[in-house]
Amino acid sequence: MTEPLLVIENLHVSVGEGEDAKEILRGVDLKVFPGEIHAIMGPNGSGKSTLASVLMGKPGYTVTGGRILYKGEDLADLSPDERARKRIFLAFQYPTEIPGVSVVNFLRTAYNAVHSDKVLGPLEFRKYLQTKMDLLEVPNSIINRYVNAGFSGGERKRAEVLQMAVLDPDLAVLDETDTGLDIDALKEVSAGVLKVHNETRGMLVITHYQRLLNYIQPGFIHVLISGKIVRSGGKDLALDLEAKGYDQFRVELGLPEGQGAEAG
Amino acid sequence: MGFTRSDVEALSASLNEPDWVLERRLEAWGWFEKMEIPGEKEEPWRYTNLKRLKFKLDDFVPSTQVDVSFGGPDIQLSPDRSGEAHQRGARIRVAPLDMELDSGGVIVTDIHTAIAEHPELVRPNLFGQFNAAGHIFSALHGALFCGGMFIYVPRGKTLTLPVGFDCRIDEPGTAVFPHTLIVTEENSEVCFIERYSSPGLGGSGFSNSAIEVVGGQASRGFVGTIQEYDKGVWHFQNQNLRTARDANFKSLVVTLGGTFSRTETTATIQGEGNSVDLMGIYMAGEGQHFDFRTMQDHAAAHSTSDLLYKGALKGNARTVYSGQIHVRPEGRETDAYQTNRNLVLSDHAMANSKPELEIENNDVRCSHAASVGQMDENEVFYLQSRGIDRVSAERLIVKGFLEDVLGKVGRKDVEGLVSHLLEEKLSV
Repeated sequence: MTEPLLVIENLHVSVGEGEDAKEILRGVDLKVFPGEIHAIMGPNGSGKSTLASVLMGKPGYTVTGGRILYKGEDLADLSPDERARKRIFLAFQYPTEIPGVSVVNFLRTAYNAVHSDKVLGPLEFRKYLQTKMDLLEVPNSIINRYVNAGFSGGERKRAEVLQMAVLDPDLAVLDETDTGLDIDALKEVSAGVLKVHNETRGMLVITHYQRLLNYIQPGFIHVLISGKIVRSGGKDLALDLEAKGYDQFRVELGLPEGQGAEAG
Repeated sequence: MGFTRSDVEALSASLNEPDWVLERRLEAWGWFEKMEIPGEKEEPWRYTNLKRLKFKLDDFVPSTQVDVSFGGPDIQLSPDRSGEAHQRGARIRVAPLDMELDSGGVIVTDIHTAIAEHPELVRPNLFGQFNAAGHIFSALHGALFCGGMFIYVPRGKTLTLPVGFDCRIDEPGTAVFPHTLIVTEENSEVCFIERYSSPGLGGSGFSNSAIEVVGGQASRGFVGTIQEYDKGVWHFQNQNLRTARDANFKSLVVTLGGTFSRTETTATIQGEGNSVDLMGIYMAGEGQHFDFRTMQDHAAAHSTSDLLYKGALKGNARTVYSGQIHVRPEGRETDAYQTNRNLVLSDHAMANSKPELEIENNDVRCSHAASVGQMDENEVFYLQSRGIDRVSAERLIVKGFLEDVLGKVGRKDVEGLVSHLLEEKLSV
């Protein structure tokens, strides 16, 4: 049997320190095998973005219990760049602007860091990049601009998908890739994600809304509420959520209205 | 030790100068004798206390071995330059000019040869912008200027490749005083790049230089100064640009080296329809104090000036930026902007920023902005999440922060050179 790519076991995560510490994830369990696309759905403040940040090792989050195993290895002591070099990728909900650094230089630096066994020179990389741009139909104009600086919402998300295609990760986490996109941009970005997906890659798609899942069609859907996965199922679950909303789970689980709405 | 009136007279004599030059030198010497090293009570030196920094004029003497020879076998024109000169202490060599430029009336030589051979061009312009009475350092420069270039571009001529000037201090305890004068006639174009350094100096040095640019109608120019002296060198520079109607000039000051650096840049907009860009990049580290002072002086209508100075500070570095936009009553429909941004990378470094506006006309658009900030952890995390280690991520961010300034240079050769220098300085 194939080994799982990602195993999350009883994960507890807090933000803040000392008395200000606040538990955001309260025992998350999840398994992703190569070739699978999983969706994590949940209302604002359920802990979705925290899960994405913790997977990438963002500072400011403390794992207080449980563990994350990636290809069988505990990620706890690895910095974000070490995780990226082990082929984990995070598409940001709000991609950061890096003024003065062009997309093409940034991507080549990143590619050569992740693929240190097959470093590419400027010309070779430019050719490789072109194949990915052609695949995703990304316009040339984007790559000489500064990273995310002055990009529209759609351009930012398209650039994130381009980065994912270029870096060729084994596990991709997409954090609310649908936010800020109109329907046309959503279709394009989703199509890009599907072009990049393959049978060796695992994907974790995090979203508030079902609409992204119309295009990406994950095989597994998990509902995250108040830091816990309260239900897992197939795509019918997403449709059910679209019809009834998240409140059904709050009622079922006896959670007060707006529970856990303070943090992402 | 230090500087004397007889240094001035001996210098002028050894250069066989005409009386009018000696007169200007002695007038400046007169100012020098009346002046003192400024203290922090003087507003233009408020954040720079030279006494506390232990600067003493007596620690230095002028370079004595004055030698000006045009051409000669020891300097060849580089293929990427349209003109070139080297200065080592008080020894100056100028590469022979390309025949085609020469026959077209372009002049590229050292300032002393120009005084002897082209007095009609030099006399009306030398010290026309540069104010020797400004402070003790400009007075000393006026008295002892030695070396530097003269560039004259006649009407309609374009120097596509830059003219390069490479000035080095090569003897500990000595001073250099290069003075460069650039005159562009109507609809001509020039690019000048000067570099200051002191490889292997192994001691202290004093650099006191000036540039005067007289930009003719609709002429275009780029003036770049790159300062990469060793520790121990004190650098004072005065840059003056005066531009006539419809001219378009850019100045870039890149400051990386030395123990101390003070650069004063004045753009005097004298004709309508001008466009002037003033750009600055600095990286100050342990034991370095940089001070930048700028003036955008709008004395004519319908002109634009845009200033962007960005710096990164490490160790216990100190930097000062103080700049003024002055729109005179005749400066109707002026657009003038001024931005200074600092990235402070250490708890012990400190950046001072003091922009100022003086507006004497209501029909203007002016703004100024200053910021002093730290490394943005979100940017670091973003780059790390793409596999780039923390040290490289920080370098990339600093380099990007500074190279942002190059966006307005509009010359690939200059962008490439500065980018390379920043890369080198950051990898130390």
